[in-house]
Amino acid sequence: MASIDIVPGPVDTVRAEGVWSQIRYHAAAHPLGVIGAVIMLVFVFAAIFADFITVFDPIRTNSLVSLAPPGHTHWLGADNMGRDIYSRIVYGARISLAVGLGSTFIGCVFGVALGLTSGYLGGWVDLVIQRIVDVLQAVPLLVLALVMAAALGPALDNTIVAIAIPLIPYTARVVRSSTLTLREQPFVEAARAVGMSEFRIAVRHVLPNTLAPLIVIATAQLGAAILTEASLSFLGLGVPEPHPSWGRMLSESAAEYVRTAPWLVIFPGAAISLAVFGTNLFGDALRDILDPRLRN
Amino acid sequence: MGSYLIRRFFLMLLTLFGISVLVFTMLRVVPGNIADILFDAAGMIDTAEKAKLEKELGLDQPIAVQYVQWIGGLARGDLGYSYVSEKPAIDEILPRIPITAKLAGLALLFAIVFGVPLGVISAVKQNSGLDYVLRVISLSGLSMPSFWLGLLILMAFVKFFGTIPIYSNAPGGFWAALGLYSVPAAAVGFRSSALVMRLTRSSMLEVLRQDYIRTARAKGASEQSVNYHHALRNAVLPVVTVIGIEAAFLMGGLIVTETVFNIPGVARFLVEAIRWRDYPIVQNLVMFIAVVAVSINFLVDLLYAVLDPRIKYSG
Amino acid sequence: MGTKFVALATAILASLTLCTAQAAEPKHGGILKIYHRETPPSLSIHEEATFSVNIPAMGLFNNLVIYDQHKPQNSMSTIVPELATSWAWSPDNLKLTFKLREGVKWHDGQPFTAKDVKCTFDLIQGKGQDKFRKNPRKDLFNNISEVSTNGDFEVTLQLKRPQPSLLAMIASGYTPMYSCHVPTAQMRTHPIGTGPFKFVEFKQNESITLTKNPDYWKKGLPYLDGIEYSIIRNRATAVLAFVAGNVDMTFPTEMTAALIKDIKSQDATAVCEIAPINVNTNLIINRENPPFNNLELRKAMALALDRKSFIDIIFQGQGDQGGTLLPPPEGVWGMPPDMLKTISGYGDVNKDRQQARAIMTKLGYSADKPLKIKVSTRNIATYRDPAVVLIDQLKSIYIDAELEPVESSTWFAKVARNDYSVGLNLTGNGIDDPDQAFYENYACGSERNYTHYCNKELEALFDNQSVETDVEKRKKMVWEIDKKLQEDVARPILMHARSGMCWKPYVKNMTIMRNSAYNGYRYEDIWLDK
Repeated sequence: MASIDIVPGPVDTVRAEGVWSQIRYHAAAHPLGVIGAVIMLVFVFAAIFADFITVFDPIRTNSLVSLAPPGHTHWLGADNMGRDIYSRIVYGARISLAVGLGSTFIGCVFGVALGLTSGYLGGWVDLVIQRIVDVLQAVPLLVLALVMAAALGPALDNTIVAIAIPLIPYTARVVRSSTLTLREQPFVEAARAVGMSEFRIAVRHVLPNTLAPLIVIATAQLGAAILTEASLSFLGLGVPEPHPSWGRMLSESAAEYVRTAPWLVIFPGAAISLAVFGTNLFGDALRDILDPRLRN
Repeated sequence: MGSYLIRRFFLMLLTLFGISVLVFTMLRVVPGNIADILFDAAGMIDTAEKAKLEKELGLDQPIAVQYVQWIGGLARGDLGYSYVSEKPAIDEILPRIPITAKLAGLALLFAIVFGVPLGVISAVKQNSGLDYVLRVISLSGLSMPSFWLGLLILMAFVKFFGTIPIYSNAPGGFWAALGLYSVPAAAVGFRSSALVMRLTRSSMLEVLRQDYIRTARAKGASEQSVNYHHALRNAVLPVVTVIGIEAAFLMGGLIVTETVFNIPGVARFLVEAIRWRDYPIVQNLVMFIAVVAVSINFLVDLLYAVLDPRIKYSG
Repeated sequence: MGTKFVALATAILASLTLCTAQAAEPKHGGILKIYHRETPPSLSIHEEATFSVNIPAMGLFNNLVIYDQHKPQNSMSTIVPELATSWAWSPDNLKLTFKLREGVKWHDGQPFTAKDVKCTFDLIQGKGQDKFRKNPRKDLFNNISEVSTNGDFEVTLQLKRPQPSLLAMIASGYTPMYSCHVPTAQMRTHPIGTGPFKFVEFKQNESITLTKNPDYWKKGLPYLDGIEYSIIRNRATAVLAFVAGNVDMTFPTEMTAALIKDIKSQDATAVCEIAPINVNTNLIINRENPPFNNLELRKAMALALDRKSFIDIIFQGQGDQGGTLLPPPEGVWGMPPDMLKTISGYGDVNKDRQQARAIMTKLGYSADKPLKIKVSTRNIATYRDPAVVLIDQLKSIYIDAELEPVESSTWFAKVARNDYSVGLNLTGNGIDDPDQAFYENYACGSERNYTHYCNKELEALFDNQSVETDVEKRKKMVWEIDKKLQEDVARPILMHARSGMCWKPYVKNMTIMRNSAYNGYRYEDIWLDK
């Protein structure tokens, strides 16, 4: 937790004309972060323009090309059901992005709401919310996701919710600890002095200042969500057919085809690792930039 | 400090109560119970037999009554019987705990032995080639699905040694056991070591910039002694924290790794028990894990207090 | 006269093949290590309905009669005595009498007598004091009206009507003899049988251990000192464990063509065999809800099926097209290929689909205005994958289907509630026998008749074939029934699965059954050449 228990200062106000020079400056200082950003952009591009950059329908089966190796028609080969792997990976980017963004968004919204209320109001509200957070945190993440996935039933949106719920306590804790420090800051006192309502102070002044650590966690969770989905798939509870999920592609063919048709395993495996790697690189750089303590 | 401890202790109990309610209700929300699953293979559900079985297991009672029965039993030290094996739940759970504990312990050891020194090196040589290489390696450790890493390791073993370290029968002797556990422990620990390394690196960087280190340098302390003595001692703190967090995260890695390496520990057992809807096993096991997790967090807080006198206890 | 000659010839042939198979002198000793795909629910065969139980538990027990463990095709003519030394039908075919073997002991030392046989049937029929917790096959033995003992070593089953198939059911791995003195609850946790192996230990998620029964009534058997099943849930790990030699044998039926290719590439000495397992994948259409209450629509759906494509995609060609009963040559009762081809939907796919599209157009559907449906199935790959192919194939006849994966534990409850429109299901048959297949799946009111297909005329024919003692005559009757079932789109059969297993070359005397995956695991004369 310590890594993200960042004590934030007031948000820097960046003048509009300075944005590009700031980005250039940070990019030069964080070459790994740039690589991460590029990887992420590639996947986002693939997810958005999947319809235009693929030829085959990702769920179209074809017995004639079952297990076809990579070649002219099927660039990355075809799986055991004769589905084009390139198309499945491209469309899979959409699923992974939906899982990553969806669960991070849900996790952050609820986490921020809980953390902000808890930290800002304090008192018994804080006590109750902290117990809820403690409870959610003491149950192992994957177990929680596993039970949730089973309870909600096999569907894409349910998987997203199942992965999001364990993220809530994590976000809530970080937001709460930032809020606790911010509450006592002079600019909050000042706002109170001019008669601003507590709700407005929380939303207008405290919330924006928790954004820096939040962005850092959100990037980290993006990658973690993709990995959790893969683990759930391995245990038989990830995103179900017909959605092309990288996690299921990898976990289901890993056993059978790793030697006889390795392209079934290598490409989804590479897609997962690369996507998570990219978000991690980018997240690292973001943390360096946003964390005032590490700023030179 | 004393009153703080008492307060923390009661909050801990409150948390455990919350967990018991959560787990209990969640399990009953999950569709299907043991009877459904037991009848499933036959391709039909005999409603009369199912009702009889549910009655026998007390599943026909209202949820609140079932909860009170469970907690009452727990208070008396009676964990009930596994629905699947019909053996006492305690006999199913207890023997599996040391297996997972050994694995988790070795994994943490692996994480610290590799994570801390590499993190220190990476921080001291910040922005050097070595720093970049170490950071990329540690990030790749966080980027691979753990079952995939485990399978790759097993395949490499078959290829190069012609044998695989899986638990097909209980190992005899200390060295045999160590050999068997160390490979899956490394697979789990790889991820944790990456985390520990990153954390050590960032807290080292922070500490290295602080005033007293500058003072030490100014006073003529050698570079090495500053790095490894002053700085490392201060960097231990966040590492202790991450161990606390990792304890809960580790469980997820353990589930997958125990499945891949076929280790009969509690983590895989828990997943199987969820699949069977074996309530007595799942409930009690989750409670056990929660107690461990909550206690570790408690200890970490204490350790924090001991290691860092700057932390005050207000709330 | 003719049949006698054939029998003699077969006997000679069988003994010849047996001789060549056992060219080397069997060796005693050694523990056979096998991996098990999952924790079985218990080891009490009568209470369970999966071969995850039969495989480890069959060695603990004996039957009255059993399918010869070294004849790959189970049939009436391969049934041999076990705890019974002989059997005889009464002239009116209403009484089946078994003479029992003397001197057989249960694993706890108690003697085996006719009372135990009666107790077993009482348990199955729910007549005794003690009751099974689950009793999945009680309907198979509905035709037995009374079990009577004559002294300690003779038992007679009284039937309500003649039923030659009864003997087949008794010879199945699913019908071992239980004792009177061991309660059913104990049979689930610590089973006691008369078989070649004794139960030692069953640890959930870990292992099942059996040891040699030194007092086994077959002198000199078993050859093995014991069998150890390691439960390995992850198939990739299991395959690696086999290649690395941690286990001597894979779990029966778990190896696909791709896995066998992989195993062979790593261990060329491994012996692998693929055989039909008498499990079929079928389509269940809810005929009570519109628009599926229209036979025309159901016919169009049946015509859209490309069975070869199913087999190629799902089993890499390792499967068979057939009707309800397992097709020949492995299956005893399946329709011959010539007859199968005459059924609509089994012929030329393009022509059939054209016909199907014509029906769909008549019903008002078109490429622009497709029929939107949901295909429900369990969220397990063996169910889901064929459903994906099915959805793809239905597109060709203007049906736009969406997959609805169902949490596995609630699947049958959902089907029983009639809460589906089109579903994809798997049906496993314990024995290759028409009585079991017809009554269980197609009789009016049967619990496993998911589609509620009910045809009283056909049901009369079920009874007619069931009492027929002449096998050849019965076959012809069975074919006609099977054909009618397919034409009525009672439950279109997509394919019959084949799957395989591998063992190390030093595991000797292994025979894989070719028309059932439930009956061939006594393992009393398996030996290790090490």
